[in-house]
Amino acid sequence: MRGWFAELERPVELVVALGPEETPRAGSGDLDFGGEMVRLCEGLAGLGQGVSCRVEHEPEGVPRFPSVSIRPDGRDAGVRYDGLPWGYELGSLIGGIVEAGRADPSLRPESLAELETLDRDVVLDVFVTPT
Amino acid sequence: MLLAYRCALASERVTATAIEANEFPQLAQELGVWAVPRIVVDGEPRWDGAVPEPEFLRRILAAAA
Repeated sequence: MRGWFAELERPVELVVALGPEETPRAGSGDLDFGGEMVRLCEGLAGLGQGVSCRVEHEPEGVPRFPSVSIRPDGRDAGVRYDGLPWGYELGSLIGGIVEAGRADPSLRPESLAELETLDRDVVLDVFVTPT
Repeated sequence: MLLAYRCALASERVTATAIEANEFPQLAQELGVWAVPRIVVDGEPRWDGAVPEPEFLRRILAAAA
């Protein structure tokens, strides 16, 4: 992981949002999800100079807590993970950091051209589980 | 998940959020999440499962049309 973060082409800021949490599904464990999120993101920030972390409390525009916004150059690019990314899903957060750290998009040129044709905003939500 | 993130990073028109279904069971139930990944576009469940990049883009553009 240190190697991936060392190769980031631009800084990535993790902004953890804390606030009132929903009661998780039974079997999710007796975890302090917000506290674990802070520890996780601070730990990731400690792995490379290109990644930083800060915490906000109930910021505007964040509907669920805990949450982390992955920000290239500190800019809110609309990339977020809601909930604690543990287990298999830790890879999604790390992958998001690596992608945000790229200077150029990693999509195919054809895909970039297709995105250019969007004439309105699109909100993508992807439901995931840790296993 | 990474494809959705890549789209958001490439276009100011797109935002992408991963939502951990077990931590937000009420929302997951409202959107009928039984399989993951479930992709929701503008609040509407669209499909389940990973698809290749060209198909992902085709489905997003179709949903946005």
